[in-house]
Amino acid sequence: MSAQFRAELLKIRSTRTTLGLIAGMIALTLLFSLLSGLLTKAPDLASAENQRGMLSVGSLAGVFAALAGIMLITGEYRYGTIRPTFLFTPKRSRVLEAKIAAGLLAGLIFGVLAETLAFLIGYAALAGRGIHLALNGSQIALLLLGTFAATALWGAIGVGLGAIIRNQVGAIVALLAWGFVAENLLFAFVPSAGRFAPVHAGDGFIGLTTRHLLDATAGGLTLTAWAAAISLAGITLAARRDVN
Amino acid sequence: MERVEAAVVAESLSKRFGALLAVDNLSFALEPGTITGFLGPNGAGKTTTLRMLLGLAAPTSGRALVLGRPYAQLAQPALRVGAVLEATDFHPGRTGRDHLRMLGEAAGLPRARVDEVLRLVELSDAAGRRVKGYSLGMRQRLGLAAALLGDPELLILDEPANGLDPEGVRWLRDFLRTFTAGRRTVLISSHVLAEVAQTVDQVLIINRGRLVVETSLDQLTARVGGSVRIRTSEVEKLIAALRHEGIETSRSNDHTLLAHGTTSERVGDLAFAAQVPIHELIAESSSLEDVFLELTSDPAT
Repeated sequence: MSAQFRAELLKIRSTRTTLGLIAGMIALTLLFSLLSGLLTKAPDLASAENQRGMLSVGSLAGVFAALAGIMLITGEYRYGTIRPTFLFTPKRSRVLEAKIAAGLLAGLIFGVLAETLAFLIGYAALAGRGIHLALNGSQIALLLLGTFAATALWGAIGVGLGAIIRNQVGAIVALLAWGFVAENLLFAFVPSAGRFAPVHAGDGFIGLTTRHLLDATAGGLTLTAWAAAISLAGITLAARRDVN
Repeated sequence: MERVEAAVVAESLSKRFGALLAVDNLSFALEPGTITGFLGPNGAGKTTTLRMLLGLAAPTSGRALVLGRPYAQLAQPALRVGAVLEATDFHPGRTGRDHLRMLGEAAGLPRARVDEVLRLVELSDAAGRRVKGYSLGMRQRLGLAAALLGDPELLILDEPANGLDPEGVRWLRDFLRTFTAGRRTVLISSHVLAEVAQTVDQVLIINRGRLVVETSLDQLTARVGGSVRIRTSEVEKLIAALRHEGIETSRSNDHTLLAHGTTSERVGDLAFAAQVPIHELIAESSSLEDVFLELTSDPAT
């Protein structure tokens, strides 16, 4: 484990930001899992499609992982710690690479926490209501592991996006506006392009079967390509631009 | 002459921000072991120069070297150069100790070093508290502690006394004097000469991005003393007459000049002998700060 990576992990652990994000994520996961597990009518919950939806509620961790990634870099610009950080490690790509690795790890932890919780609640709801599980073992494995991996990638995307935009509020607004508005419009009106956008590529990756989505392999590769491209852009820009 | 490798070098350093030439062809070299005051009014280009020296900003042209290399090419910069650019570069929700630990981790320093520098800047008791509860003086000291983590041979401080109360300024002065004493090279910027006059051995004065003067503090102090302000319609002629008598002058504008180290009687007599009309003649006693302000005032005003 590199020294810079240890430093980045300490940065994540030493403020309450991450704990706040985890708390919000757990609360939302609980809320949506319980709502869909308890309030969905039994015949509706019998379909594989709807079971996938309920059991993958934990994929909302992607938003929180991206926010954590954004905080990890924009917090440094916002509070000025970017100056001592770059003074201690003037090879800036080394700092950014360590942050991306830390974003991946934080995202993975977020994904495991939220998706495991969502799966357990959903599974318990099905079992408690006597509804037959319509998914086989490999479908469930894809749902769980895919969500873990996708959430990790969103952590890296957050770091890259934050490094590109630098302004904390700007980066958060860009993430939410893209993820919740722009991408949904794109997918609704031009699904042939929208399915390659990161959120929908992630939906395909975890095995969701909405019409037009990519399959798991193509979705996983596409989301990985997005994470790599955004990370690379962030590293390049952070290395090139002056620090005030 | 013995060649000592300079600790800090600016070579025709320039930085342009759009239409503004913030640093304009600046060249200087600082010898190891010296304490230099980097002075100039706000907006003179001091911070921009320091950022270029520290690799945070890229020069538009020219070169900035610390310890013989561009900062980013130093092998372990944190062990050789310590710098504080802003007194407020902390996450408010992080403790002072964690701030130092995260930097120490990045530099591969032992954890015990964090407690050492905390003792050094007298922050051990507050180290476990979040920085948002720190006073400005404590933040300044925490910044200094971060700069000292790697026990560097070169210390660069940007306006370290800014916003400090007199007690804080005194603490900083005593600290720098005892701590650095001949073993380290120090570059301290300030827009107030008095803040650093008791600490530095030499000064580098810039204005509008250009070097105004590079001199020892002693030589600068020698300029302190009586001077006479004269307003006249024939500045050139009076300057020539005064210079002929060995009196140094500096010109303030088209109609006003200062004659240094002399008296109003002598200037009046010489002007009369040279047949120069005098519109105003004022005896002034200047302080070190006056000398500084005079050097950094714009000729147009």
